[in-house]
Amino acid sequence: MLVSDVMTRKVVAIGPDTPIRDVQTLMEQRNIRHFPILQSRSNAEPDALIGIVSDRDVRLVGADHPRAPAGVTSAHPISQLMVFPVLTAHPDDPIEETAKVLRENKIGAMPVMDDGRLVGIVTGIDMLDALVRMSGVYEAASRLEVEVANRPGALADLLGHVAARNVNVSSVMTTRGDPDTVTFVLRVSTVDGHGLARHLRDQGFSVPWPPEPGSDDVPRSGGRAAAIEPVTDDSTQQA
Amino acid sequence: MSTPGFKFVYDPELAGFELAPDHPFKPLRFEITRTLLTAVGLLADTDLVSPTPLDDDDILMIHDRRFVEAVRSVTVASRALNSSSLSAFGLGTSDNPLFDDMHDKIAKVCAATVTAVDLVASGRALRTANLAGGLHHALRDRASGFCIYNDLAIAIRKAVDHYGLRVAYIDIDAHHGDGVQWLFYDDPAVLTLSMHESGRYLFPGTGHTYETGKDAGRGTAVNLPLEPFTEDASFLECFDMVVPRAIEHFAPDLIVLQAGADMHRHDPLADLWLSLDGMGESYRRVVELADTYAGGRLVVTGGGGYDPYQTVPRAWARLWAEVIGKQLPAELPATWVDGWEHRLGVSMPTTSSDDQATWTPAPRRAAIASRNRSVAERLLATLEKIWQLK
Repeated sequence: MLVSDVMTRKVVAIGPDTPIRDVQTLMEQRNIRHFPILQSRSNAEPDALIGIVSDRDVRLVGADHPRAPAGVTSAHPISQLMVFPVLTAHPDDPIEETAKVLRENKIGAMPVMDDGRLVGIVTGIDMLDALVRMSGVYEAASRLEVEVANRPGALADLLGHVAARNVNVSSVMTTRGDPDTVTFVLRVSTVDGHGLARHLRDQGFSVPWPPEPGSDDVPRSGGRAAAIEPVTDDSTQQA
Repeated sequence: MSTPGFKFVYDPELAGFELAPDHPFKPLRFEITRTLLTAVGLLADTDLVSPTPLDDDDILMIHDRRFVEAVRSVTVASRALNSSSLSAFGLGTSDNPLFDDMHDKIAKVCAATVTAVDLVASGRALRTANLAGGLHHALRDRASGFCIYNDLAIAIRKAVDHYGLRVAYIDIDAHHGDGVQWLFYDDPAVLTLSMHESGRYLFPGTGHTYETGKDAGRGTAVNLPLEPFTEDASFLECFDMVVPRAIEHFAPDLIVLQAGADMHRHDPLADLWLSLDGMGESYRRVVELADTYAGGRLVVTGGGGYDPYQTVPRAWARLWAEVIGKQLPAELPATWVDGWEHRLGVSMPTTSSDDQATWTPAPRRAAIASRNRSVAERLLATLEKIWQLK
């Protein structure tokens, strides 16, 4: 999955002389959180990306807050607030790379530039959407976690056993604990996830999830809570 | 003995096939149940009704035409191409293998459920059963989890569109009733209510408390996920906390119960630990809810249940007994026991209840019950808030 698969193509960009109060209005009306700032050029070249502002920068104007910009009012041009230089993405960047850049720089969005032209914007929410799509969570499935040695062919071995049972795989995700092992999170299109887990255990695989039926204490790596202990459940909070 | 007002939809072909020789979903369960009911005198020939065949248009109310055409193309399984065009529809996997004339066979299951609903919706019967039905995982354009067409959704769609009824669908199968839920997720005329083992542990992975419906249907999907090893007392406590209130608020004209029997302790595909007595109690409660809130109108179907000889026939015989207001005798007839033992070469149960004396209590019984209780409490609080806003 590439940036071009997840980015928003209709970008609302503004000029550097736009008054801050107009940006505030746009932000509220269009429910937009990041504005690239474009400077038009006299020649035939595309507008130049000269900065970016976020909703947080704009909201702080005139606020009684230690980080409010001193001496800036909503009548000033947005160029007073904009951040530059701007970190940008390319449509062909892999999304995992983009997610890393967003995270490491603690920013919420990047304009997407192709050949000097603004072609889209990609945000942290797009990264979450990508994760959701990659996980296959919208497909009915049983979910297994299988821990294997970190060596060539380990995934092929594992999936060979899944394929032998004529079970389709909706997604494979990888998590890493210590350097010697890799844990694959498999979402498989079968009702009998327990049966598949049992079969894999019989073949010598370590299958930390689902917990073995009847097992009283369920060992989990990484200090996570035992599987069927009562733990705080946040599943009703969203509603 | 005739029981006016109650009809049992029956056709020998509903049990006369298998998905694959070693497939866990065994239609024969239906026939074993029917013969038990006949043997104990709870089912007379006059109670039986044949399914009225469906038009393709009935199936197309719910299912995508290309999907139906793909299913229909499989007349001789061994000759059907196990092609990517079929696997894109979820067909030809170990869960949903190809079998001969699969369209006709599953269309008949759907016809039986539609007949069961038609009889009640039109007032020709008060309560009906299609124990061969309950294929709650099937989706608009995809077979899933042993289910090809969604008989429940077709029948409910017809009850709503043709008869103008409000339908409350209660699903107590161990697996989340995802297909029916998604097919009516934005429909305010259909309440889908599912109690199931939590999707953290079990297929299909959905059925979270926050799945409450969308748009006009917001507040008409209810999901109560339960911990593995949930036993009778906790299951019934949660049922009583949530189900009557949801039904009362929704005020249905008709209740449809999907009574999958895989929440039993001995079911090999799930981890809930109910007994036949606990399951019987839940059936009794649903009948009571139909009487209190839906003018008595109730349609029951089967569903999952993968302990097909020991557990399922007793569970569903008790279900039908509750439907007609009778009880399954404690001792089951020797003719029935011997007949099936001889035919199947397996040991058959001789009593209507489990021998619970040998059962060990669930690990951490109190913690499981307390967890379930708090999920039910918060679910109800969430729903009350949504219902208030509407």
